[in-house]
Amino acid sequence: MFGFLKGMGITIRQLPTKKVTLMYPNERPQWPERFRGVHEYIPELCIVCYQCARICPTSCISLSGARDDNKKMRIETYDINFEICILCNLCTEVCPTNSIRMTSQFELAEYTRDGLYKNMDWLYHNHVEHGSFRAMQAEKERAAREELEMPVQQKSDDRGGDK
Amino acid sequence: MTSTLHKEEMILNLGPQHPSTHGVFRLVVTLDGEQIVDADPVIGYLHRGTEKLAEGLQYTQIIPYTDRMDYLAAMLNNYALVHAVEYALDLEIPDRAEYLRMIVMELNRVASHMVFIGTYLLDLGAMSPFLYAFIERENIVELFNEICGARLTYNYMRIGGVKWDATPDWIDKVRRLVPMLREKVKMIDNLVSGNEIFLNRVRGIGKFTKEEALNYSLSGVNLRSTGFRFDLRKVRPYGIYDRFDFDVIVGENGDALDRYTCRLREIEQSLRIVEQAASQIPEGPVMGKVPKMIRVPAGEYYASIEGARGELGAYIVSDGKDKPYRLKFHRPSFVNLQILRKLLIGQNVANLIAILGAVDIVLGEVDG
Ligand code: SF4
Ligand code: SF4
Repeated sequence: MFGFLKGMGITIRQLPTKKVTLMYPNERPQWPERFRGVHEYIPELCIVCYQCARICPTSCISLSGARDDNKKMRIETYDINFEICILCNLCTEVCPTNSIRMTSQFELAEYTRDGLYKNMDWLYHNHVEHGSFRAMQAEKERAAREELEMPVQQKSDDRGGDK
Repeated sequence: MTSTLHKEEMILNLGPQHPSTHGVFRLVVTLDGEQIVDADPVIGYLHRGTEKLAEGLQYTQIIPYTDRMDYLAAMLNNYALVHAVEYALDLEIPDRAEYLRMIVMELNRVASHMVFIGTYLLDLGAMSPFLYAFIERENIVELFNEICGARLTYNYMRIGGVKWDATPDWIDKVRRLVPMLREKVKMIDNLVSGNEIFLNRVRGIGKFTKEEALNYSLSGVNLRSTGFRFDLRKVRPYGIYDRFDFDVIVGENGDALDRYTCRLREIEQSLRIVEQAASQIPEGPVMGKVPKMIRVPAGEYYASIEGARGELGAYIVSDGKDKPYRLKFHRPSFVNLQILRKLLIGQNVANLIAILGAVDIVLGEVDG
């Protein structure tokens, strides 16, 4: 009988404590800085080295690039198939230019399976809609870079400084 | 009534989607009235072919796959693989990385045992302990989220170290969490362990002896609950477990109650290790010197660790390439499940879930 009473005591002690449930979707979770959400991709930085596609354990990145007029590699298509991406972040780990990064975006529901096939444009705009922490950092970095490279940049109407 | 009375046997199909199978697990039981005369576990619903996939992947690429085996204790799975590769390569691991590994592994063991306690009581029909256990587990999972960016599939360890150093106040948070968890474990203990309904429900069921456990090559809590003192962290200390002071918890009777209490008390031991590790952790690098392309020299290697559910081993057969020729995981849930048929035969059908739950399987690990 004593066991019951002890249990009851704990239950009663719980009454005044704070609720811990997060009322998603009305309340949004606060993800930490390292959170591995859906990628964003910044084409200007990419040097088309294929390292991300090669390390990906599920081979869900497909990309292609070509040389532009300045003989620099420029990305043409970049798709990630989120049906099979396991958000392991190995691609962001190997990327030498940080052009593929992870955001705090975690909502990826689609009505069709094809909808999970995201292209470059979607990945680029991923941060605009969701204001990810890292995207803003990237924006800052890019602004700093552009400022530095301004004299060079003005000559050619290159889309960005891919070093 | 004479015992020759003919009764028709009934076949009952439990699962694959049954809430207390903790995954997709099917059990075909043959019943005679309320007595189980035969039980036939059917597994493979969650089979992803991890071992086969691993043959086509570099060692680093396999690490995220190990997360998905025992998804309640993914840190330990990460470690099982990287430990085997490090053992094969004879790598030196920086101290800070080792300490971080110990902290996350022991915290993960605590989280995993919390899930066991919560879900086991849920199986037995008690709803609220589940919520209590999950509230506490949430703290740990959030800490993992902070250090590696994921709540379940961590992919945190790398061959030669860990991916990320702790964030500036992470260690402090761990230090603060330990006494809190201790208190909460005591609370759960008070809530459940003295409860007569619970005690009468689980005492003496699913009982096996030391010899039977060894014959079925059980490991982990299932083996220790019979009184057999075997914990790989003590028997064959790997990593830096020899630097910590902790006890191996053993039971006496080998029944479901002992397995429950062993796990509950193991949480306290794990917290002890976390506490020591968090206070001793040195500064320094978190990644050792690793060759750019990890090639395991040709040969066969086996390294095993004490997982949350038993001996978790990785057996690598290498032909000297950057990918394993064959990779086999010794998955404790799969091995421990094999005794289930023996435990169930002759039991009352009402005890079925209580016995299955106490073995503590994770279907991701059973099916591999
Ligand atoms: S997160 Fe992992 S699975 Fe997803 S694209 Fe990157 S490497 Fe591939
Ligand atoms: S995203 Fe990074 S890793 Fe991938 S091709 Fe571009 S620069 Fe290379």
